Amino acid sequence: MHLKLAASAIAAAVAPTSAFAVDYLSADQAAKLMFPDADTFETRSLTLDAAQMQQLDTQGVRARSANWTVRVAKRAGAALGFVVTDDVVGKVELISYAVGIALDGTVKQVEILSYRESHGAEIRLPAWRKQFVGKGASSALRIGDDISNISGATLSCTHVTDGVRRIVAVVALARRGGALT
Amino acid sequence: MNPRAAVLRRARPLLGTLVEVGVFAPGLDTQAAVDAAFAVVAEAQACLSRFDANSDIARFNALRRGERLTVRPITRQVLAAAHELRAATAAAFDISLGSAPDGWALRGAELDKLSDDACLDLGGIGKGHAVDLAVQTLMAHGVAAGWVNAGGDLRTFGNVDTPVQLRDESTGGARAFATLRNGAFATSHFGPESRSQLTTRTSSPPRAHASVAAPLCLWADALTKVVALSGDTSHPLLARYGAAAWLH
Repeated sequence: MHLKLAASAIAAAVAPTSAFAVDYLSADQAAKLMFPDADTFETRSLTLDAAQMQQLDTQGVRARSANWTVRVAKRAGAALGFVVTDDVVGKVELISYAVGIALDGTVKQVEILSYRESHGAEIRLPAWRKQFVGKGASSALRIGDDISNISGATLSCTHVTDGVRRIVAVVALARRGGALT
Repeated sequence: MNPRAAVLRRARPLLGTLVEVGVFAPGLDTQAAVDAAFAVVAEAQACLSRFDANSDIARFNALRRGERLTVRPITRQVLAAAHELRAATAAAFDISLGSAPDGWALRGAELDKLSDDACLDLGGIGKGHAVDLAVQTLMAHGVAAGWVNAGGDLRTFGNVDTPVQLRDESTGGARAFATLRNGAFATSHFGPESRSQLTTRTSSPPRAHASVAAPLCLWADALTKVVALSGDTSHPLLARYGAAAWLH
Protein backbone atom coordinates (compact mmCIF):
# COMPACT_ATOMS: atom_id res chain seq x y z
CA MET A 1 0.00 0.00 0.00
CA HIS A 2 1.24 3.47 -0.86
CA LEU A 3 -0.53 6.63 0.23
CA LYS A 4 0.65 10.16 -0.35
CA LEU A 5 -1.26 13.01 1.26
CA ALA A 6 -2.25 15.91 -0.97
CA ALA A 7 -0.73 19.26 -0.09
CA SER A 8 -4.14 20.58 0.82
CA ALA A 9 -4.92 17.66 3.14
CA ILE A 10 -2.99 19.33 5.92
CA ALA A 11 -5.09 22.48 5.65
CA ALA A 12 -8.24 20.42 5.48
CA ALA A 13 -10.65 22.90 6.97
CA VAL A 14 -9.69 25.72 4.65
CA ALA A 15 -9.15 23.76 1.45
CA PRO A 16 -11.66 24.75 -1.22
CA THR A 17 -14.22 22.15 -2.16
CA SER A 18 -15.05 21.21 -5.70
CA ALA A 19 -18.10 19.81 -7.38
CA PHE A 20 -17.84 16.27 -8.65
CA ALA A 21 -19.29 14.64 -11.72
CA VAL A 22 -18.89 11.32 -13.50
CA ASP A 23 -20.43 10.17 -16.75
CA TYR A 24 -20.65 6.39 -16.98
CA LEU A 25 -22.82 5.59 -19.97
CA SER A 26 -25.21 7.26 -22.37
CA ALA A 27 -28.77 5.94 -22.44
CA ASP A 28 -28.06 4.25 -25.78
CA GLN A 29 -24.90 2.60 -24.48
CA ALA A 30 -26.76 1.31 -21.43
CA ALA A 31 -29.57 -0.10 -23.58
CA LYS A 32 -27.05 -1.98 -25.76
CA LEU A 33 -25.20 -3.25 -22.69
CA MET A 34 -28.42 -4.61 -21.20
CA PHE A 35 -29.75 -6.14 -24.40
CA PRO A 36 -26.69 -7.03 -26.48
CA ASP A 37 -28.79 -9.30 -28.73
CA ALA A 38 -31.17 -6.54 -29.78
CA ASP A 39 -30.94 -5.30 -33.37
CA THR A 40 -33.21 -2.28 -32.85
CA PHE A 41 -34.44 -0.11 -30.02
CA GLU A 42 -37.83 1.49 -30.68
CA THR A 43 -38.51 4.59 -28.62
CA ARG A 44 -42.06 4.97 -27.29
CA SER A 45 -43.44 7.96 -25.45
CA LEU A 46 -45.93 7.16 -22.73
CA THR A 47 -48.38 9.58 -21.23
CA LEU A 48 -50.17 8.24 -18.21
CA ASP A 49 -53.73 9.45 -17.78
CA ALA A 50 -55.27 10.44 -14.46
CA ALA A 51 -56.75 6.98 -13.90
CA GLN A 52 -53.39 5.30 -14.49
CA MET A 53 -51.64 7.74 -12.18
CA GLN A 54 -54.19 6.93 -9.51
CA GLN A 55 -53.75 3.22 -10.13
CA LEU A 56 -50.03 3.59 -9.39
CA ASP A 57 -50.92 5.57 -6.29
CA THR A 58 -53.00 2.70 -4.96
CA GLN A 59 -49.98 0.41 -5.47
CA GLY A 60 -48.00 2.74 -3.22
CA VAL A 61 -45.95 4.09 -6.11
CA ARG A 62 -45.83 7.82 -6.68
CA ALA A 63 -45.67 8.19 -10.45
CA ARG A 64 -44.07 11.64 -10.12
CA SER A 65 -44.42 12.27 -13.83
CA ALA A 66 -47.09 11.45 -16.40
CA ASN A 67 -44.56 11.35 -19.23
CA TRP A 68 -42.14 8.50 -19.72
CA THR A 69 -39.93 7.35 -22.55
CA VAL A 70 -39.42 3.63 -23.00
CA ARG A 71 -36.94 1.95 -25.32
CA VAL A 72 -38.27 -1.38 -26.56
CA ALA A 73 -35.39 -3.76 -27.32
CA LYS A 74 -36.20 -5.93 -30.33
CA ARG A 75 -34.58 -8.67 -32.31
CA ALA A 76 -36.06 -9.58 -35.68
CA GLY A 77 -39.22 -7.72 -34.71
CA ALA A 78 -39.78 -9.56 -31.43
CA ALA A 79 -39.53 -7.68 -28.13
CA LEU A 80 -36.70 -8.74 -25.81
CA GLY A 81 -37.35 -6.23 -23.04
CA PHE A 82 -37.51 -2.57 -22.12
CA VAL A 83 -35.14 0.18 -21.00
CA VAL A 84 -36.25 3.29 -19.13
CA THR A 85 -34.01 6.13 -17.98
CA ASP A 86 -34.71 8.56 -15.17
CA ASP A 87 -33.06 11.13 -12.89
CA VAL A 88 -33.33 11.39 -9.13
CA VAL A 89 -32.20 14.25 -6.90
CA GLY A 90 -30.82 13.65 -3.43
CA LYS A 91 -29.49 16.01 -0.80
CA VAL A 92 -26.44 16.98 -2.83
CA GLU A 93 -26.52 14.65 -5.81
CA LEU A 94 -28.24 14.25 -9.15
CA ILE A 95 -28.18 10.67 -10.38
CA SER A 96 -29.24 9.51 -13.84
CA TYR A 97 -29.82 5.80 -14.22
CA ALA A 98 -31.27 3.25 -16.60
CA VAL A 99 -33.42 0.25 -15.75
CA GLY A 100 -33.57 -2.79 -18.01
CA ILE A 101 -36.77 -4.81 -17.66
CA ALA A 102 -37.15 -8.37 -18.94
CA LEU A 103 -40.28 -9.64 -20.68
CA ASP A 104 -41.50 -11.25 -17.45
CA GLY A 105 -41.54 -7.77 -15.86
CA THR A 106 -38.57 -8.32 -13.57
CA VAL A 107 -35.56 -6.02 -13.34
CA LYS A 108 -32.79 -7.34 -15.54
CA GLN A 109 -30.17 -4.73 -14.78
CA VAL A 110 -29.73 -1.25 -13.33
CA GLU A 111 -26.86 0.94 -14.53
CA ILE A 112 -25.95 4.39 -13.28
CA LEU A 113 -25.56 6.73 -16.28
CA SER A 114 -24.17 9.75 -14.49
CA TYR A 115 -23.54 11.09 -11.06
CA ARG A 116 -23.30 14.81 -10.24
CA GLU A 117 -22.67 16.33 -6.92
CA SER A 118 -23.15 19.98 -6.16
CA HIS A 119 -21.89 22.19 -3.38
CA GLY A 120 -25.31 21.90 -1.81
CA ALA A 121 -28.43 23.96 -2.29
CA GLU A 122 -27.90 24.59 -6.01
CA ILE A 123 -28.90 20.96 -6.65
CA ARG A 124 -32.53 22.13 -6.24
CA LEU A 125 -32.21 24.86 -8.88
CA PRO A 126 -33.68 23.92 -12.25
CA ALA A 127 -30.92 25.93 -13.96
CA TRP A 128 -28.21 23.85 -12.34
CA ARG A 129 -29.91 20.62 -13.32
CA LYS A 130 -30.74 21.81 -16.82
CA GLN A 131 -27.07 22.22 -17.73
CA PHE A 132 -26.75 18.45 -17.67
CA VAL A 133 -29.81 17.54 -19.72
CA GLY A 134 -28.85 15.42 -22.67
CA LYS A 135 -25.25 15.01 -21.53
CA GLY A 136 -23.96 11.51 -21.80
CA ALA A 137 -20.71 9.63 -21.84
CA SER A 138 -19.91 10.91 -25.29
CA SER A 139 -20.16 14.58 -24.31
CA ALA A 140 -17.16 16.50 -23.13
CA LEU A 141 -18.48 17.54 -19.75
CA ARG A 142 -15.94 16.82 -17.06
CA ILE A 143 -15.97 18.66 -13.78
CA GLY A 144 -13.96 16.64 -11.33
CA ASP A 145 -10.72 14.87 -11.97
CA ASP A 146 -11.58 11.99 -14.29
CA ILE A 147 -10.32 9.22 -12.10
CA SER A 148 -10.75 10.61 -8.63
CA ASN A 149 -12.31 8.40 -6.03
CA ILE A 150 -14.50 9.94 -3.39
CA SER A 151 -14.56 8.82 0.19
CA GLY A 152 -16.93 10.22 2.76
CA ALA A 153 -20.08 9.46 4.61
CA THR A 154 -21.89 6.75 2.69
CA LEU A 155 -24.23 8.06 0.06
CA SER A 156 -27.67 6.52 0.22
CA CYS A 157 -29.17 5.17 -2.99
CA THR A 158 -32.71 5.11 -1.62
CA HIS A 159 -33.84 7.52 -4.32
CA VAL A 160 -32.56 5.19 -7.02
CA THR A 161 -34.16 2.07 -5.53
CA ASP A 162 -37.47 3.93 -5.16
CA GLY A 163 -37.10 5.09 -8.77
CA VAL A 164 -36.48 1.54 -10.01
CA ARG A 165 -39.66 0.38 -8.29
CA ARG A 166 -41.57 3.23 -9.92
CA ILE A 167 -40.27 2.36 -13.38
CA VAL A 168 -41.18 -1.31 -12.97
CA ALA A 169 -44.73 -0.28 -12.05
CA VAL A 170 -45.01 2.20 -14.93
CA VAL A 171 -43.83 -0.33 -17.51
CA ALA A 172 -46.18 -3.01 -16.14
CA LEU A 173 -49.07 -0.57 -16.33
CA ALA A 174 -48.21 0.50 -19.86
CA ARG A 175 -47.95 -3.10 -21.01
CA ARG A 176 -51.33 -3.97 -19.49
CA GLY A 177 -52.72 -1.02 -21.43
CA GLY A 178 -51.18 -2.39 -24.62
CA ALA A 179 -48.87 0.59 -25.11
CA LEU A 180 -45.63 -1.36 -25.45
CA THR A 181 -46.43 -4.19 -27.83
CA MET B 1 0.95 3.16 -15.95
CA ASN B 2 -0.39 6.49 -17.09
CA PRO B 3 -3.44 7.33 -14.98
CA ARG B 4 -4.75 9.42 -17.87
CA ALA B 5 -5.02 6.31 -20.01
CA ALA B 6 -8.48 5.09 -20.95
CA VAL B 7 -10.70 4.03 -18.10
CA LEU B 8 -13.82 1.87 -18.11
CA ARG B 9 -16.03 2.98 -15.29
CA ARG B 10 -19.41 1.55 -14.28
CA ALA B 11 -21.70 2.05 -11.30
CA ARG B 12 -24.71 0.20 -9.95
CA PRO B 13 -26.94 0.65 -6.92
CA LEU B 14 -25.90 -2.10 -4.49
CA LEU B 15 -25.27 -2.44 -0.75
CA GLY B 16 -27.59 0.51 -0.15
CA THR B 17 -25.24 2.86 -1.96
CA LEU B 18 -23.60 3.36 -5.34
CA VAL B 19 -20.92 0.81 -6.09
CA GLU B 20 -18.41 1.91 -8.71
CA VAL B 21 -15.93 -0.30 -10.56
CA GLY B 22 -13.11 1.29 -12.54
CA VAL B 23 -10.58 -0.42 -14.80
CA PHE B 24 -7.52 1.23 -16.32
CA ALA B 25 -6.58 0.43 -19.90
CA PRO B 26 -9.64 -1.74 -20.55
CA GLY B 27 -9.52 -4.54 -23.10
CA LEU B 28 -12.07 -6.70 -24.86
CA ASP B 29 -12.67 -8.89 -21.81
CA THR B 30 -13.00 -6.04 -19.34
CA GLN B 31 -16.80 -5.78 -19.39
CA ALA B 32 -17.09 -9.46 -18.40
CA ALA B 33 -14.67 -8.87 -15.51
CA VAL B 34 -16.69 -5.84 -14.38
CA ASP B 35 -19.94 -7.84 -14.58
CA ALA B 36 -18.34 -10.57 -12.46
CA ALA B 37 -17.18 -7.98 -9.89
CA PHE B 38 -20.72 -6.59 -9.59
CA ALA B 39 -22.06 -10.14 -9.31
CA VAL B 40 -19.86 -10.89 -6.30
CA VAL B 41 -20.97 -7.63 -4.65
CA ALA B 42 -24.59 -8.68 -5.22
CA GLU B 43 -23.77 -12.06 -3.68
CA ALA B 44 -22.25 -10.36 -0.63
CA GLN B 45 -25.41 -8.26 -0.33
CA ALA B 46 -27.56 -11.41 -0.50
CA CYS B 47 -25.53 -12.93 2.36
CA LEU B 48 -25.14 -9.89 4.59
CA SER B 49 -27.97 -7.41 4.14
CA ARG B 50 -30.24 -7.32 7.15
CA PHE B 51 -32.93 -5.94 4.86
CA ASP B 52 -32.97 -9.11 2.75
CA ALA B 53 -35.11 -11.67 4.61
CA ASN B 54 -33.15 -14.55 3.06
CA SER B 55 -29.72 -13.26 4.08
CA ASP B 56 -27.72 -15.05 6.77
CA ILE B 57 -27.90 -11.93 8.92
CA ALA B 58 -31.69 -11.48 8.65
CA ARG B 59 -32.16 -15.18 9.37
CA PHE B 60 -29.89 -14.92 12.41
CA ASN B 61 -31.76 -11.86 13.67
CA ALA B 62 -35.02 -13.84 13.50
CA LEU B 63 -33.61 -16.74 15.60
CA ARG B 64 -34.28 -17.30 19.30
CA ARG B 65 -31.65 -17.78 21.95
CA GLY B 66 -30.08 -21.23 21.75
CA GLU B 67 -30.76 -21.62 18.03
CA ARG B 68 -28.08 -21.61 15.34
CA LEU B 69 -27.65 -21.52 11.60
CA THR B 70 -24.98 -22.44 9.10
CA VAL B 71 -23.70 -19.34 7.35
CA ARG B 72 -22.29 -18.98 3.85
CA PRO B 73 -18.53 -18.46 3.34
CA ILE B 74 -18.80 -14.68 2.77
CA THR B 75 -20.77 -14.24 6.00
CA ARG B 76 -18.30 -16.43 7.85
CA GLN B 77 -15.36 -14.32 6.65
CA VAL B 78 -16.95 -11.07 7.82
CA LEU B 79 -18.07 -12.51 11.16
CA ALA B 80 -14.59 -13.89 11.80
CA ALA B 81 -13.18 -10.38 11.34
CA ALA B 82 -15.88 -8.91 13.59
CA HIS B 83 -15.07 -11.52 16.22
CA GLU B 84 -11.39 -10.62 16.07
CA LEU B 85 -12.14 -6.91 16.50
CA ARG B 86 -14.64 -7.52 19.29
CA ALA B 87 -11.96 -9.41 21.20
CA ALA B 88 -9.30 -6.76 20.51
CA THR B 89 -11.45 -3.82 21.63
CA ALA B 90 -13.15 -5.29 24.71
CA ALA B 91 -16.41 -5.42 22.72
CA ALA B 92 -16.33 -1.71 21.84
CA PHE B 93 -16.40 -2.83 18.20
CA ASP B 94 -19.91 -4.21 18.19
CA ILE B 95 -21.84 -5.45 15.16
CA SER B 96 -24.92 -5.87 17.36
CA LEU B 97 -25.04 -2.06 17.63
CA GLY B 98 -25.56 -2.31 21.35
CA SER B 99 -28.33 -4.93 21.23
CA ALA B 100 -26.15 -7.72 22.70
CA PRO B 101 -22.40 -7.46 22.02
CA ASP B 102 -21.78 -11.00 23.28
CA GLY B 103 -25.03 -12.38 21.93
CA TRP B 104 -23.44 -14.27 19.05
CA ALA B 105 -20.65 -16.80 18.61
CA LEU B 106 -19.11 -18.25 15.49
CA ARG B 107 -17.85 -21.85 15.52
CA GLY B 108 -16.64 -22.79 12.06
CA ALA B 109 -19.60 -22.06 9.82
CA GLU B 110 -22.07 -22.34 12.70
CA LEU B 111 -23.44 -19.09 14.05
CA ASP B 112 -24.95 -19.42 17.54
CA LYS B 113 -27.47 -17.04 18.98
CA LEU B 114 -26.73 -16.51 22.66
CA SER B 115 -29.26 -13.79 23.39
CA ASP B 116 -32.77 -13.08 22.15
CA ASP B 117 -31.78 -9.41 21.89
CA ALA B 118 -28.87 -9.95 19.50
CA CYS B 119 -29.51 -8.23 16.17
CA LEU B 120 -26.53 -7.96 13.86
CA ASP B 121 -25.76 -5.32 11.26
CA LEU B 122 -22.77 -5.84 8.99
CA GLY B 123 -23.48 -2.74 6.91
CA GLY B 124 -20.00 -1.26 7.41
CA ILE B 125 -17.48 -4.08 7.35
CA GLY B 126 -19.71 -6.06 5.01
CA LYS B 127 -19.33 -3.29 2.48
CA GLY B 128 -15.57 -3.28 3.00
CA HIS B 129 -15.39 -7.03 2.47
CA ALA B 130 -17.58 -6.82 -0.64
CA VAL B 131 -15.08 -4.32 -2.07
CA ASP B 132 -12.20 -6.71 -1.32
CA LEU B 133 -14.07 -9.58 -3.00
CA ALA B 134 -14.80 -7.44 -6.06
CA VAL B 135 -11.12 -6.47 -6.34
CA GLN B 136 -10.11 -10.15 -6.05
CA THR B 137 -12.58 -10.97 -8.81
CA LEU B 138 -11.20 -8.29 -11.15
CA MET B 139 -7.65 -9.50 -10.54
CA ALA B 140 -8.67 -13.12 -11.10
CA HIS B 141 -10.06 -12.00 -14.46
CA GLY B 142 -6.66 -10.63 -15.37
CA VAL B 143 -7.37 -6.94 -14.78
CA ALA B 144 -4.02 -5.26 -14.05
CA ALA B 145 -5.16 -2.03 -12.42
CA GLY B 146 -8.38 -0.43 -11.25
CA TRP B 147 -10.54 0.27 -8.25
CA VAL B 148 -13.82 -0.53 -6.53
CA ASN B 149 -15.63 2.13 -4.50
CA ALA B 150 -18.75 1.24 -2.49
CA GLY B 151 -20.06 4.63 -1.46
CA GLY B 152 -16.74 5.75 0.00
CA ASP B 153 -15.28 2.38 1.02
CA LEU B 154 -12.71 2.04 -1.71
CA ARG B 155 -9.75 -0.04 -2.76
CA THR B 156 -7.32 0.48 -5.59
CA PHE B 157 -5.05 -2.11 -7.14
CA GLY B 158 -2.28 -2.14 -9.72
CA ASN B 159 0.52 0.26 -10.41
CA VAL B 160 -1.50 3.48 -10.58
CA ASP B 161 -1.67 6.37 -8.15
CA THR B 162 -5.38 7.14 -7.82
CA PRO B 163 -6.45 10.50 -6.38
CA VAL B 164 -8.74 10.26 -3.38
CA GLN B 165 -11.05 13.13 -2.53
CA LEU B 166 -12.99 13.53 0.67
CA ARG B 167 -16.67 14.37 0.61
CA ASP B 168 -17.76 16.84 3.21
CA GLU B 169 -20.93 15.58 4.87
CA SER B 170 -22.27 19.03 5.69
CA THR B 171 -21.65 20.83 2.39
CA GLY B 172 -21.53 18.06 -0.19
CA GLY B 173 -18.33 19.30 -1.79
CA ALA B 174 -15.21 17.23 -2.26
CA ARG B 175 -11.58 18.13 -1.72
CA ALA B 176 -8.28 16.51 -2.60
CA PHE B 177 -6.90 14.38 0.19
CA ALA B 178 -4.31 11.90 -1.05
CA THR B 179 -3.22 9.59 -3.79
CA LEU B 180 -3.50 5.89 -3.13
CA ARG B 181 -1.84 2.92 -4.80
CA ASN B 182 -2.58 -0.73 -3.98
CA GLY B 183 -4.56 -0.02 -0.88
CA ALA B 184 -7.92 0.65 0.68
CA PHE B 185 -9.44 3.78 2.15
CA ALA B 186 -12.64 4.31 4.10
CA THR B 187 -14.33 7.26 5.74
CA SER B 188 -17.17 7.24 8.20
CA HIS B 189 -19.05 10.24 9.48
CA PHE B 190 -20.28 10.02 13.01
CA GLY B 191 -23.01 12.28 14.22
CA PRO B 192 -26.58 12.04 15.46
CA GLU B 193 -28.01 12.06 11.93
CA SER B 194 -25.43 9.81 10.26
CA ARG B 195 -26.00 6.36 8.87
CA SER B 196 -22.91 5.23 10.76
CA GLN B 197 -23.81 5.04 14.41
CA LEU B 198 -21.36 4.26 17.10
CA THR B 199 -22.61 2.27 20.00
CA THR B 200 -20.44 3.46 22.75
CA ARG B 201 -20.55 3.64 26.48
CA THR B 202 -19.47 7.24 26.35
CA SER B 203 -22.41 9.61 26.50
CA SER B 204 -21.87 11.58 23.32
CA PRO B 205 -20.18 10.07 20.29
CA PRO B 206 -17.87 12.48 18.49
CA ARG B 207 -19.13 14.45 15.52
CA ALA B 208 -16.35 13.82 13.09
CA HIS B 209 -15.16 12.11 9.97
CA ALA B 210 -12.75 9.26 10.60
CA SER B 211 -10.67 8.05 7.65
CA VAL B 212 -8.46 4.99 7.55
CA ALA B 213 -6.07 3.68 4.91
CA ALA B 214 -5.24 -0.04 5.08
CA PRO B 215 -4.23 -2.84 2.70
CA LEU B 216 -7.72 -4.40 2.86
CA CYS B 217 -11.00 -2.49 2.67
CA LEU B 218 -12.63 -4.64 5.36
CA TRP B 219 -10.06 -3.44 7.88
CA ALA B 220 -10.13 0.14 6.60
CA ASP B 221 -13.89 0.34 7.20
CA ALA B 222 -13.81 -1.47 10.55
CA LEU B 223 -10.97 0.66 11.87
CA THR B 224 -12.84 3.91 11.17
CA LYS B 225 -15.14 2.84 14.02
CA VAL B 226 -12.22 2.00 16.30
CA VAL B 227 -10.60 5.36 15.60
CA ALA B 228 -13.82 7.31 16.09
CA LEU B 229 -14.59 5.45 19.32
CA SER B 230 -11.16 5.98 20.80
CA GLY B 231 -10.42 9.36 19.24
CA ASP B 232 -6.95 7.92 18.77
CA THR B 233 -5.36 8.11 15.33
CA SER B 234 -2.41 6.08 16.60
CA HIS B 235 -4.51 3.32 18.16
CA PRO B 236 -2.40 0.14 18.54
CA LEU B 237 -4.80 -1.89 16.35
CA LEU B 238 -3.91 0.28 13.34
CA ALA B 239 -0.35 -1.07 13.28
CA ARG B 240 -1.62 -4.65 13.50
CA TYR B 241 -3.49 -4.21 10.21
CA GLY B 242 -0.92 -1.97 8.53
CA ALA B 243 -3.29 1.00 8.70
CA ALA B 244 -3.07 4.77 9.12
CA ALA B 245 -5.87 7.04 10.33
CA TRP B 246 -7.09 10.63 10.32
CA LEU B 247 -9.85 12.45 12.17
CA HIS B 248 -11.15 15.51 10.36
